[in-house]
Amino acid sequence: MKNTSIRVRLTLWYGSALALILVLFAVSLYLVMSRALREQVDASLDEAAAVAIRTLGEHRFGPFLIFEDLSQDFPEIALLDKFFQIFGPAGQVTIQSANIQSREIPLSQPSFRASLEGHSTFESVQFENGVPLRLLSVPIRQGDRLVNILRVGTSLQSTNRMLHRLLVGLYIASPLALLVSLGGGWFLAGRALRPVHAITKAAQRIAAGDWTQRIRTPHSNDEIGQLASTFNDMIGRLEVSFRQIRQFSADASHELRTPLTITKGETELALRRPRQAEDYRVVLESNLEEIDRMSRIVDELLFLSRADLGEIKLKMVPVQLDDLVREIQQQAQVLGEERHIQTVLEVVEPVVVQGDDLRLRELLLNLLDNAVKYSQKGQTVELSLTVSGGQGKLVIRDHGIGIAPEDQERVFDRFYRTDEARAHAAKGTGLGLSICKWIVEVHHGTIEMKSTTQGGSCFTVCLPLASSAVMV
Amino acid sequence: MRILVVEDEPKVASFIRRALEEESYAVDVCPDGSSGLDWAQNVNYDLIVLDLMLPGLPGVEVLKRARASGVKTPVLILTARSEVDQRVRGLDAGADDYLTKPFAIEELLARARALLRRAGGAPTGLLQVDDVILNPVTREVTRGGQRLELTTKEYALLEYLMRNAGRVLTRSMITEHVWDLDFDTFTNVIDVYISYLRNKIDKGRERNLIQTIRGSGYIMRSDA
Repeated sequence: MKNTSIRVRLTLWYGSALALILVLFAVSLYLVMSRALREQVDASLDEAAAVAIRTLGEHRFGPFLIFEDLSQDFPEIALLDKFFQIFGPAGQVTIQSANIQSREIPLSQPSFRASLEGHSTFESVQFENGVPLRLLSVPIRQGDRLVNILRVGTSLQSTNRMLHRLLVGLYIASPLALLVSLGGGWFLAGRALRPVHAITKAAQRIAAGDWTQRIRTPHSNDEIGQLASTFNDMIGRLEVSFRQIRQFSADASHELRTPLTITKGETELALRRPRQAEDYRVVLESNLEEIDRMSRIVDELLFLSRADLGEIKLKMVPVQLDDLVREIQQQAQVLGEERHIQTVLEVVEPVVVQGDDLRLRELLLNLLDNAVKYSQKGQTVELSLTVSGGQGKLVIRDHGIGIAPEDQERVFDRFYRTDEARAHAAKGTGLGLSICKWIVEVHHGTIEMKSTTQGGSCFTVCLPLASSAVMV
Repeated sequence: MRILVVEDEPKVASFIRRALEEESYAVDVCPDGSSGLDWAQNVNYDLIVLDLMLPGLPGVEVLKRARASGVKTPVLILTARSEVDQRVRGLDAGADDYLTKPFAIEELLARARALLRRAGGAPTGLLQVDDVILNPVTREVTRGGQRLELTTKEYALLEYLMRNAGRVLTRSMITEHVWDLDFDTFTNVIDVYISYLRNKIDKGRERNLIQTIRGSGYIMRSDA
């Protein structure tokens, strides 16, 4: 059963149920029918007996009755399908209707005994030539005395023939009905399952790599329609994340290929012929730079993939954010020293957040490092930390190259770097802001980027204060 | 032979330039797509090495527009992505060959030679004028079986003359194909190098192969 299709199974289930119903129906029909016929026969016997008794009563009872006289006076007695017997009180036949002729149908012991006790009895017997008979024996009494026993009988042949015909009809009709409805069931199951086939086909095409496939469904809200639209939604989401992953790995391989191309190319070039010691030094220094870049990319990629898997353990403690801001500002000063870039603290209010000290430090350093990196010589970077709406609000503003509005959505995407950023700071990995975003999000905060009117960039980080922070 | 390298990553551009220059090609480097297209359309290069991932105008677009405007120069594309469709799109847009980063320097040089050879119509790669034979692979030059030692620039000049043997080459044509953009056209550097070459190739021989066409330029041919 496990390997058969739902269509076959549905049809089989449906067929078995129908077969059971048909059998029950046929059996009860037959029983009801035979019972009704029997009752009909019995009722007509009863009626005939009553008529006969009335007639006999009018003629006087007695041991000797002339049937011909009776039948002349009362033609209804001479009905062809019934016969009469009148027994004497000792059980001997005194008179019987002509349609019995000379055949012997003696009174049975049980009915004779019942007659003595004054009861009527019905019985079914087999006549000598095999004809089934139904018999009614009625005692005729005068006072306490049994004078006669009237027996009315009829052949059951026509009744049985009718029942037989019914049985034959049922034998033929039931399998036929079963067959027809099995066919119908097969057809209906196929029809109902057609959308399932469509879903299977679409899924197969999708499995073969065609993510644009969708299931075309009639606009119905039935079970199949819901399944199809759920399936389509799922494929849509999968397509998006599949594309993101593909983009991500393409970007990752591109970012790694560039330093590889440089180290390979420069090294091969250097080895083509003997060179001055100074030339080798230049190549080695350049290669070292590229190796550093690759290991930074690999480190950050590993960090992000561990973050995605939830493997980064955070130690959430109350962190004095204002102290941290002052400390990182000192480091930023050092970073900007060479190019005379000042990092200015504007407002610093005391802010305590629930967070991981190390990650928050990384967040601040990343953002400030970016601000310094993309600033021009002699510019300033402004830094402020305030409390607003139950949140600590950190603003880092620079006056550097900025980001075009159409790119602002994507600056937090992994490996996304604007052309200007690439040209400006070749050493960047394109992962720093993705990491910043992750850090902010695990602290239940928000980070956004806007261009300042002077063309620089302004990053705003909001983190919930420690008292209102959700404990992790 | 003058080659344009369009590559945004400065270090990659730099080592490609040095490698090509060591092979005595004249090399110009252009860091973005739109100016790369500009140069390709305005300078008669012998080969263009084009990175497909460029800021501004993407490489495939540069290629399409250059071909549309009638630039016939062979183009070797560089791609960081090994994905097939990237290369197919590049080749369909009119590239003659491709290399996937990271690539081997020797392969870049061999492919450059092959493209230049195909464009020059010499199937074997050996260039010959009279009894002067130049092998672009080994960069060996012989006359009458005797090996000649040439400097990088002399070699480049000779290769250009030999690739265009029998044709008159003006000074500006020579400038365009043998020297890069940094070259100052007002000097008589070409005449100086021609005389260096003559010293090494023709001096003391019966037949002078490098001849001056008065008022036009120079020609290299075997019949006197």
